[in-house]
Amino acid sequence: MRLRRARRCLPGTAGSTCERAHSRDGGPVPFARRLEDAVRRRFGPTSADSLPMSLRDLEARVSAAKADVEARGETFYPGASRVHLAAFPPKERWSDWVELDSKAWPERKERRYVLVPTTCFNCESACGLLAYVDRDTLEVRKFEGNPEHPGSRGRNCAKGPATVTQLTDPDRILHPLKRAGPRGSGQWRQVEWDEALDDIAGRIRKAMDEDRHNQIMYHVGRPGEDGFTERMLAAWGVDGHNSHTNICSSGARAGYHFWMGMDRPSPDHKNARVILLISSHLEAGHYFNPHAQRVMEGKRRGAKLVVFDTRLSNTATHADHWLSTYPGSEAAVLLAVANHLVQTGRYNEAFVERWWNWREYLEETRPGEPVDFPTFQRALESEYAGYTFEFAAAESGVAADDVAQVAETVAQAGTRLSTHNWRSAAAGNLGGWQVARALFLLNALVGAIAVPGGTYPNAWNKYVPRPIHMPTRHPKRWNDLTWPADYPLSLMEMSFLLPHLTAERGGGLDVYFTRVYNPVWTNPDGFSWIEMLADPERIGLHVALTPTWSETALFADYVLPMGHSAERHDVASYEQYDGRWIGFRQPVLRTARERLKKGAASTRGANPGDVWEENEFWIELTWRIDPDGSKGIRGFFESRDKPGEKLTVDEYYAWMFENSVPGLPEKAAREGLAPLEYMRRYGAFEIDAGVGAVYEERVPPGELADVRVDGTGRAFSRATAPPSNNVVPMPSVDGDEDGRRRVGVEVDGVIRRGFPTPSGRLEFWSRTLVEWGWPEVAVPGYSRSHVHPQNMDRDQMCLISTFRLPVHIHTRSANAKWLNEIAHANPVWIHPRDAVDKAVRTGDLVRVETEIGHFVAKAWVTEGIHPGVVACSHHMGRWRLSDGPGRAGAVVSLRRNNGEWRMTRQEEAGAFRSADADTARIWWTESGVHQNMTFAVQPDPVSGAHCWHQAVRVGPARPGDRNGDVVVHPDKSHEVFRRWLGLARSALRHSPDGTRRPYWLLRPVRPERQAYQLSEPPGEPA
Amino acid sequence: MNVELYRALGSLIESPVPQHKRLATALGLPDVPVASEHVRVVRMQRHPYASAYLGAEAMLGGEVRDRIAGFRRAVGLQQDAGAEADHLASLLSLLASLESWRLEEADAARQALLAQARNTLAWEYLVSWTGPYLASFASCGVVFYAEWAALLERALHELAKAADFPDRLPEALRTAPPFPNPGEAGAKELIAALLAPLCSGTIVLRDDLRRLAVETGLAARPADRRTVVRGFLEQDAKATLEWFANHAHRCAGRTQGRRPQRIGLWWHERAVRTATVLSDAAAQIRTTQA
Repeated sequence: MRLRRARRCLPGTAGSTCERAHSRDGGPVPFARRLEDAVRRRFGPTSADSLPMSLRDLEARVSAAKADVEARGETFYPGASRVHLAAFPPKERWSDWVELDSKAWPERKERRYVLVPTTCFNCESACGLLAYVDRDTLEVRKFEGNPEHPGSRGRNCAKGPATVTQLTDPDRILHPLKRAGPRGSGQWRQVEWDEALDDIAGRIRKAMDEDRHNQIMYHVGRPGEDGFTERMLAAWGVDGHNSHTNICSSGARAGYHFWMGMDRPSPDHKNARVILLISSHLEAGHYFNPHAQRVMEGKRRGAKLVVFDTRLSNTATHADHWLSTYPGSEAAVLLAVANHLVQTGRYNEAFVERWWNWREYLEETRPGEPVDFPTFQRALESEYAGYTFEFAAAESGVAADDVAQVAETVAQAGTRLSTHNWRSAAAGNLGGWQVARALFLLNALVGAIAVPGGTYPNAWNKYVPRPIHMPTRHPKRWNDLTWPADYPLSLMEMSFLLPHLTAERGGGLDVYFTRVYNPVWTNPDGFSWIEMLADPERIGLHVALTPTWSETALFADYVLPMGHSAERHDVASYEQYDGRWIGFRQPVLRTARERLKKGAASTRGANPGDVWEENEFWIELTWRIDPDGSKGIRGFFESRDKPGEKLTVDEYYAWMFENSVPGLPEKAAREGLAPLEYMRRYGAFEIDAGVGAVYEERVPPGELADVRVDGTGRAFSRATAPPSNNVVPMPSVDGDEDGRRRVGVEVDGVIRRGFPTPSGRLEFWSRTLVEWGWPEVAVPGYSRSHVHPQNMDRDQMCLISTFRLPVHIHTRSANAKWLNEIAHANPVWIHPRDAVDKAVRTGDLVRVETEIGHFVAKAWVTEGIHPGVVACSHHMGRWRLSDGPGRAGAVVSLRRNNGEWRMTRQEEAGAFRSADADTARIWWTESGVHQNMTFAVQPDPVSGAHCWHQAVRVGPARPGDRNGDVVVHPDKSHEVFRRWLGLARSALRHSPDGTRRPYWLLRPVRPERQAYQLSEPPGEPA
Repeated sequence: MNVELYRALGSLIESPVPQHKRLATALGLPDVPVASEHVRVVRMQRHPYASAYLGAEAMLGGEVRDRIAGFRRAVGLQQDAGAEADHLASLLSLLASLESWRLEEADAARQALLAQARNTLAWEYLVSWTGPYLASFASCGVVFYAEWAALLERALHELAKAADFPDRLPEALRTAPPFPNPGEAGAKELIAALLAPLCSGTIVLRDDLRRLAVETGLAARPADRRTVVRGFLEQDAKATLEWFANHAHRCAGRTQGRRPQRIGLWWHERAVRTATVLSDAAAQIRTTQA
């Protein structure tokens, strides 16, 4: 206080802060003089007037300066003990940052940069990047981490900085191209955007006019953004969203969804006592960089790391307990751990009693028995008694003592148990979705859900801001190509069956967009995709939106160049800790030009060549589909500020940041910025942290009116839902028959938020599964996978293909030279014992025979793989058909003869001359094998997920076999499809209410409710 | 003890930020350096990490950082995310915090414990290496850092006068490996010892190696220090060893009389010993050649 008075008394002070202090003559008072004055007032005349001062005097001066600065709410110490040699450029200097040019060393050549944040797009983690834009040349020189990003906190994996190599890739697509020969011929002509837009919009308009909305489809790989595309499809009234998710995470999602209504985990690794990963999550996967750094922080605090991984991955090497489980046995081991908790009484009884739907379970499965908790506890003991350590050991190949040790470790976690499963086992096995369900059972048993150190539901750690003109309408038509009645519980679109469904059931697509997606290469059975894409009856017009050449783009009619992460706008938010944030992706050159007042009217104007961004593209396309607004679509893409004009991306995001992100306008205002300016400046914003156990929250009185609580405790209210600007996808649980909406569930006599499940509680027992034909999997359980030894021939082995090479990410890293130099091969891992049996040594060619064909690859003999299992990463084997663009891969020939498809390598990868001198220095020729082509589709009948693991025969290559060879028999592929289809339980036979799908389940671009009705009533269950 | 002063001095060795200007003004230091000067003087050459000087391998991190992190945990602190426990700024900040807590503590026994913790931190992990480290700034070419180093040294001297330091040397110095005999050691071991302050008693900067090249007429490779030194030895082992002997003499001179006296003496004696060993080895080469 004394100091504050002293500051106010400074002579000539014009305002209340030192920044506005002025001297007698009206000029600003130098900071040093004000400091001297403040010190004198505080301490009287001191030796501060004469140097050298004593340390005591200096101490006093520092204290006075600190008080002076902090009184203004500013930070005095810029970060002692927090900032270190790995520090980032301070954000105050991002507009003009000077660094020495490393390439000029030893000359000290300074370069001046404007640092522009964006969001990485090389996987779905959405880590923050800082683009170093050269102020003189307006080129992006490099990318480093963005320290302002709450998720990644300035750290990146190799893929982030490698973005610069994607921008400068000499083979990138710079102009719109239109096919000039047969599909796949590699003949293209450059066209103007207008020509492409008019052609595509005309076809879509015609389809809509003819009520063929279902022939318009948008097929996305990693979305990398929240909400824009779903909003667009809703505005179009098209049920045409198709994702890749059923070849990816939907198995695990289903496991989580049936438990808690939300479909993904958000583990709090940092505060955990035990971290249990069903994956190689420290090196790859969602959201491995943000999670990995928190796993390591947890370990530093003493957390134990348990890793289930068939391979000795980098993650396994960091584990306190590594369980090399036989593929498909994971659920058995997890249930043995659960059984240990139950049998020894070391679970959180209070939590289970309050939050599980055990009453429903008892009422439906144990009629006649008392519906009380002790009865349930006995039932629980009985349910899992068979899952002994010995049983788990027999299934998994892991010693019973090791399983017991892990069980004991988990038992000691208390509520600080963070767990995670994204793909891995859940994506590999028939019944793999039960792996995530069995894993989450552990959390549910110990009460480690949405508490510090536990696992949170994703939707509570995610924020999707409501956009401008949010459509409230839903598509009127149900798309059977993506949501066939055979798989009513499929969590996501049955995307990988598209070629089979169009071939065997008829129907096709008039306009098919593939957006940064490469199903020919990524999906199983790629030859079926080629056949479909080459068939004009099934695909009328194929538009590939991509920054990079891909195997799928080769078969497109239009290839439209879209920007990389530094060349486009998006907003993304992902569950990475107990907090909610949004990250902003932006075209950094456009922003840099604006900041340097060099102007750029649109993203296209700032990007190289004719490279555009999707958002501006979709707005433009929509206007051409509905030029006069008569279809009611254009209005969603019109400016609110300037009615009748196109919505701009600036207005879209400015509106969103001003109206839908709590706290952002205020924080921006404190820096004198508009919200959009703030996001352009810093690239990310944390809305809140410490969200906590939402299910425990009391529903506020304002949401309770004419409340009815039913027999199971579900509470319904007539009060309207409070408006929310967070439009994160959530299940749609029904209200009661009288029109009240579900607001929560009564627990301890209090109406609490609960979970968005039909029961409002954690669903240990799923009525949905029972009613839709799956009573045998009503509770978390284990069944033997399709690659269990008893389900394979004696000479077969299990092939796991679900693991990544940590520096690659499917299609997008194909032409990233740095990443390709690090990793460019995917050998077949084989255990030494098996190698002896097969007479194979490291480097030998092996032939791997799947059910529909075979591939030839090099062997890598290693003890890092479970005996009896072989492994081959899916990240390699990129190819092209001629010596054209996309030169990172090998040149191959594709032939269909005598009922078989054959891919033969014509030319290995290697050095080539281009605008980038580095391409002439490529020293490797290996590019791996495209094994996915030899995998038949294997849809899990419940989750709909593709089951990636393969039963294979492995042996030395045969005469004539060459590295990279792929042979597939299409007839067999369709046989396998039909066999797996036979496992499904169709809504046509099993729907309990005449609908296609339980309405409460999550679904992208949900159609209107009427569309859920089956066109004919379901028959009797089989 | 000067709590804020230590925090301020610690902050100033980090990457320059605008707030540093106020700090420098308050401390009477000259204009703060630009980022490129910080990179050249600190980042590239004078790594402000205890592990670089107290570790036998002169590498960042490792056992020294673990011990300091353990010390932080022992006094009840969790390391901040991303912080590096043995960074000079961290150490000075911790020193100041311990003193703050001591001053705020009413209980005499706890006060004594905090004083002991403060002294242990200063003795084992700060003054054990800051003498030669701060001395290296005298000729760094940036006035700010030279004056900063002098001021920090003054502050640590005052601490040394007031603190009740242990009788025996810090653990790292007591257990420091001896400088190897060049005649017996392989080139790899000799180079590692030359570049490890704890082993040689000297600090060898990139600037020193450039000077070596100029003074001896040898060519310096644009590479890491080990490779550069290997290149020198391969070109002219005798001249290289003689230069390093002279450098050790210079380093010994810089540490002579520095406080705390026992520590100053240790660094001085170690550098003298290194100079002697290297001179002998160089002479041996001359003899052999003769």
